[in-house]
Amino acid sequence: MDTTAATPVEKVSVVVAPRRSGPRVWMKKNLFSTWYNSLLTAVFGALIVWVVFRLGRYLINVDTEIIRVNLRLYMTGRFPSEQLSRLWAAVFVTTAGVGFFARAIVRNGRRKAAEAGLGFERSNWQDVVRRFWPIGALVVFTLSFTETITPTLLTLVAAAIGVAAYWLGAALPTWMVHRSWAIPLVGTLMFYVVLAGFGGVGWDLWQGFFVNIVLTIAGISLAFPLGLMLALGRRSTLPAVRYLSVTYIEFLRGVPMITLLLMGAFALGFLIPGDFQFSLFLRLLIAITLFQAAYIAEVVRGGLQSVPHGQVEAGQSIGLSPWKTMRFVVLPQALRNVIPAMVGQFISLFKDTTLVFIVGLLDLLRAVQISTAQPEFFAQGLEAVVLPFAAVYFWVGSFVMSRESRRLEKKLGVGVR
Amino acid sequence: MTDPKVFSDATQMAGTDETMIELSGVDKFFGDFQALKNINIRVGKQEVVVVIGPSGSGKSTMIRCINRLEVHDSGRIVVGGIELSDDIKNIQEIRKETGMVFQQFNLFPHLSVIDNITLGPRQVLNLPKGQAEELGKELLVKVQIPEQANKYPGQLSGGQQQRVAIARSLAMNPKVMLFDEPTSALDPEMIKEVLDTMQELAESGMTMIVVTHEMGFAREVANRVVFMADGEIVEVGTPEHFFDDPTEDRTKLFLSQIL
Repeated sequence: MDTTAATPVEKVSVVVAPRRSGPRVWMKKNLFSTWYNSLLTAVFGALIVWVVFRLGRYLINVDTEIIRVNLRLYMTGRFPSEQLSRLWAAVFVTTAGVGFFARAIVRNGRRKAAEAGLGFERSNWQDVVRRFWPIGALVVFTLSFTETITPTLLTLVAAAIGVAAYWLGAALPTWMVHRSWAIPLVGTLMFYVVLAGFGGVGWDLWQGFFVNIVLTIAGISLAFPLGLMLALGRRSTLPAVRYLSVTYIEFLRGVPMITLLLMGAFALGFLIPGDFQFSLFLRLLIAITLFQAAYIAEVVRGGLQSVPHGQVEAGQSIGLSPWKTMRFVVLPQALRNVIPAMVGQFISLFKDTTLVFIVGLLDLLRAVQISTAQPEFFAQGLEAVVLPFAAVYFWVGSFVMSRESRRLEKKLGVGVR
Repeated sequence: MTDPKVFSDATQMAGTDETMIELSGVDKFFGDFQALKNINIRVGKQEVVVVIGPSGSGKSTMIRCINRLEVHDSGRIVVGGIELSDDIKNIQEIRKETGMVFQQFNLFPHLSVIDNITLGPRQVLNLPKGQAEELGKELLVKVQIPEQANKYPGQLSGGQQQRVAIARSLAMNPKVMLFDEPTSALDPEMIKEVLDTMQELAESGMTMIVVTHEMGFAREVANRVVFMADGEIVEVGTPEHFFDDPTEDRTKLFLSQIL
């Protein structure tokens, strides 16, 4: 009954035309095929040579003293220097958590493959390097501006802790691996306790690029579930839930994010009784979350609409409840279909965290601005140095996110019809 | 529904005496268009009823009303002793006992074949994973594609997909199977493998309602053939009566067009 049995393919002899190649042929074909193409090649060639030359000269002559002096301001803002050890401890917690989590994911993947009787291809270290080299390069780039050896040593320690955690992850009991989602939760909790617990530094003093990272990760992890609920609410059969969701989404999408940030910074305080006031950081995180959730809800809604109705009918016909049909049939397909749009939203969230500088949170962008106003660097055109420097950080983050998104798409694309 | 003789024939069951499905006075409207007009039919336990008729005659709508994929506007539908009502509990009960196979297969593309089959047993019947997978593998043997368990629907041929869909329905151990043109989306060379699977199922004593254009299947497997046109049941009878000696002019016209 197996209809996939391959029919023998007849051998076809193909006469291969002798291929003419080599740089001369290639250039003639691609660069100088007609007189106007030759002209364009000449003009743009000259332009490229000129740009590369100017850029090279600039990079060789650039004085990075402003970066070297202010590196700590850029990365952590005015984080109290006597508490910096806590920050490093938090970095260690992070790398340890990442190591454990990675191992748990690998072990889960292998277990599932084994249960299905399939081979499991564990990605090797070259793969990991290929995926995350931009982050490593960024760390090296950052360390190249440090003036003592200590940060480099501590970074090496952090990396070693990560590797050790991955290695030790092999010894984690199975019941823990089954609940691998708990690792990020526990990690986050420890991260906070290490930083802020027992007389530490609360989040009102989290600044610099550090605060951009925290706002991004916290923003994504809060806005995504909220957006998901709003998207489901928008399709609810209960009119009250539906109208509430629609109103929320349409209202928040119609307001510029800066307005919300300003409200979070200056207006929210008046709405909350004095005893319950909370820090600027938290108010801005709430504003970012509420704003992004509305957009994420629309992305998810697009995904929900992309799943054919036959899928719902199939789910119903085997007796799945409406909720389980959504959970096991529709949602997985919907989310897979919108990975590119969703990650695009996350990338824009990452970059939008710089907007908090408008209301006075000292993030990376604000820090580089402040540094150009310092007496020894004032009015020397050093914006041309520090703004590209700041841009590198956002570029690397966005680049890695977008590449991971493409990888995820490919990985989940197995069952595409 | 002018001829009372036809009406009484429509409720005359083959198979056993026990009624499995009963539709009485069922109407269904899409806006102003009446898709079903006073449908009356009883299907006995272990009976195989084949529904044929021109497209747009309400065949699919009728069987989709039986598991509430469409909501009928008036009349009664009783499946396995449970009457369909707006009560979600009743609907779930009936859907548990009613398997459905669709023209477009409607397999879950993000799940492997075995997960497609075990989803219902695990999530609705609360079977433990191991037990559900054992059941799934048994069913794959039954539909003769045990080697495809870990593939994804997109990697299978149409005929294989439709057999997985049949296995997925059977995994819920239904009392009734509804087939909505199960071979219409298949390439000709794959129709037979699906029909063979359905015939085996019929011979094992499953109660089935099959909407199809496969006259050979109707003649060989059906206990009764129902002919529908314009939302009405025009004629009901044994395959012999229906194909060799039909009573109604519309049936004769239809048969002359297709045979």
